Amino acid sequence: MKPYTLIGLCLLIVVLMVLPLLVSRFYLYITLQVLMLSLFALGFNLLFGYTGLLSFGHAAFYATGAYATGLILKNVTNSLIPGVLGGTLVATLLALIIGFFCVRHTDVYFSMLTLAFGMMVYSLAWKWRDVTGGDDGLIGIPRAPLQIPGGLSFSMKAVSNYYYFVLIVTLLAILLLYTIVNSSFGLVLQGIRENSNRVEFAGIPIKRYRWIAFVISGFFAGLAGALLAPLENTVAPAAADWTKSSEPILASLLGGIHTFAGPIVGSALFILLKETVVRHTEYWLLVYGIILLLILLGLRGGVVGALIQFKAKAKR
Amino acid sequence: MGSKEVGRRDFLKYGISLVGTGVLGSQLVYPLDPVYAQTEKKGKIKDPIRIGAQATLSGPFGGYGQFMKMGAQLAVDEINSSGGILGSKVEIEFRDEELKPDVAAKNARYFVDDWGADFLTGLDASSSALGVGAIMGELDRVLIVTHGATEKLTENLVYKQGIKQIFRISVPVYQDGIAAAIVAKDFPAKRWVTIGADYEYGHTAWNFFKATLKKLRPDVEFVEEAWAKFLTSDFGAHITKVMAANPDGIYSTQWAGEAVTLIKQAKLFGVFDKIQTWMTPMGAAMDVLEGLGKEYPEKAWVTCRYWFQYPDTPENKAFVARFYKRWNKYPHYVSETTYSAIYAIKAAVEKAGTLSTPEVIKALEGMTLMTPAGKRYIRPEDHQAVYQVPWGRITHNPEYPFPTLTDLKVIPAEEYFRKPPFVEA
Repeated sequence: MKPYTLIGLCLLIVVLMVLPLLVSRFYLYITLQVLMLSLFALGFNLLFGYTGLLSFGHAAFYATGAYATGLILKNVTNSLIPGVLGGTLVATLLALIIGFFCVRHTDVYFSMLTLAFGMMVYSLAWKWRDVTGGDDGLIGIPRAPLQIPGGLSFSMKAVSNYYYFVLIVTLLAILLLYTIVNSSFGLVLQGIRENSNRVEFAGIPIKRYRWIAFVISGFFAGLAGALLAPLENTVAPAAADWTKSSEPILASLLGGIHTFAGPIVGSALFILLKETVVRHTEYWLLVYGIILLLILLGLRGGVVGALIQFKAKAKR
Repeated sequence: MGSKEVGRRDFLKYGISLVGTGVLGSQLVYPLDPVYAQTEKKGKIKDPIRIGAQATLSGPFGGYGQFMKMGAQLAVDEINSSGGILGSKVEIEFRDEELKPDVAAKNARYFVDDWGADFLTGLDASSSALGVGAIMGELDRVLIVTHGATEKLTENLVYKQGIKQIFRISVPVYQDGIAAAIVAKDFPAKRWVTIGADYEYGHTAWNFFKATLKKLRPDVEFVEEAWAKFLTSDFGAHITKVMAANPDGIYSTQWAGEAVTLIKQAKLFGVFDKIQTWMTPMGAAMDVLEGLGKEYPEKAWVTCRYWFQYPDTPENKAFVARFYKRWNKYPHYVSETTYSAIYAIKAAVEKAGTLSTPEVIKALEGMTLMTPAGKRYIRPEDHQAVYQVPWGRITHNPEYPFPTLTDLKVIPAEEYFRKPPFVEA
């Protein structure tokens, strides 16, 4: 990482850290949404941008993380960390199972399989009424206090407190993912994307690598969902719908799939743009769609990709 | 809705009858409690008083949102042109809840934390009502739901979890399930089946219907169920399945466009020649009446959450007339519930003399309001407004451009509203 990028990054983190002092509760909430979508999209992009597998069903893990966290916080323990970790773990396990079947295929076959599994989870959330509450959703999820071994307990009732929890978890998770993609493992994934035959001839079991990438990706989607449940106090089947699966796809494409920061920038754009457009017209869906189209068609490689290209040109 | 000719004639009829009652220019929703009029204090509390409203404004159910807007706008304009609330103007803004609870919750946060809403209202989907309801303690504003019908909103969130900021002015699913069974007990039909909406609403309504009817008429049987998922367009398989059980009565929970499609297809299958009775709780909603028009079978028993011909009071007649004059349409039930919700806010603020949420809650609890739908009593335990809406049989009345109701069955609300502590059905 170049020094000025590092300085910029540190500045951004400082701004995020003091944000609750600067903005109203609503913008804090919007920032929370950006953070959660960033996690979701980053996890998704490990499969898409790095490994070359387009999943249409990632909301399955997002929703599983959210529902499982909700159920744990409601029925097992009123402590935030076990709830969020437990929910993420359940989502990861699901990714382990679904991934086992999906990575046997590539291209459109892979995409269709993930879509099918995604809609299975959606149907389950909709129909398993005794557990999930059906389409009314799982209601009454507490925003449990953060309990640290040693007797310390922080109330999460105020959104600003919960914001710090999500911010720290997100930063740690991003650091973890950054380490993963820059390891030799990450390099192999990119090799698989570029030319899977060559990687296979080099003696690397590509299915196993894809599977591991799938599980890691599911872990991040699950974590994003797990953070959602205590914030909203409710989880409904919409969290598992295919339209939810499309959000990380759009966010990644907007920001740029071949850069690490792309999905983060894309998530911020995705949410802030919608928030702005909704305020100005009742027909926001149309306007929003057109703006997204223009960005996707006009800036190949997404916003971050275009910026990098622009800088490269400017140097010449 | 409504061809202009017929409507104008009808409007004149109302207009003439209203001149006699003298109610046309006055306020139609007002509190009936004697404690009222205690506050004549302070100056202006806040100008403007802001109400954040949500409805489904896009997609296949978008028409509901438009009707809700009309009711809300009418109330706001009336209030503002007659001095506002304690001298303050009322400002309302609508957002699309998209039938998605996460969107609804975000909108609610926007309204309160950014736009500066003092009250929230509206909400079509049950899940959206629950999604917003869950965070009302945190947002600490009064929310008056005007459509979302799940009993969990008032029974669980208000009564059991104690989220006192939530109120509901429209009848919940008791109307669809329990009242339906009380009406059905007088029918000869013994063998009942359902073509159900395969989501929470359909299942809950059918369960209430079965439990209540079995108690009142131990001789009935529930012989078949066919569940159709959201946005079904071909009900052939469902109709065949229930007809194979040789039913006397069919209870169906489809609503809006789905109800229209289902009843049209059932006619094609000759269902109405073979059964005695058909019941569709939301079948008296304007969109269904218009969608089916002359094709609506007279064997169908229907209701909704407010029927524009009931009760026969000057307030209701004046409301229908004003609504027709303003929008050239007859009021949908969501128009009335939202109209009344906004007036309930006015009454509560005037009684409390402040916008402070705990004070407004206290003012609303136990309040009795005169509204177009009749007297509404807001139960303090679960914050549900108690009033009754009739069931009725479809009839084709040449005076209206859509089918209307006859043989109205009015069951006192006390008989069919579930009561605290809400034990399982």
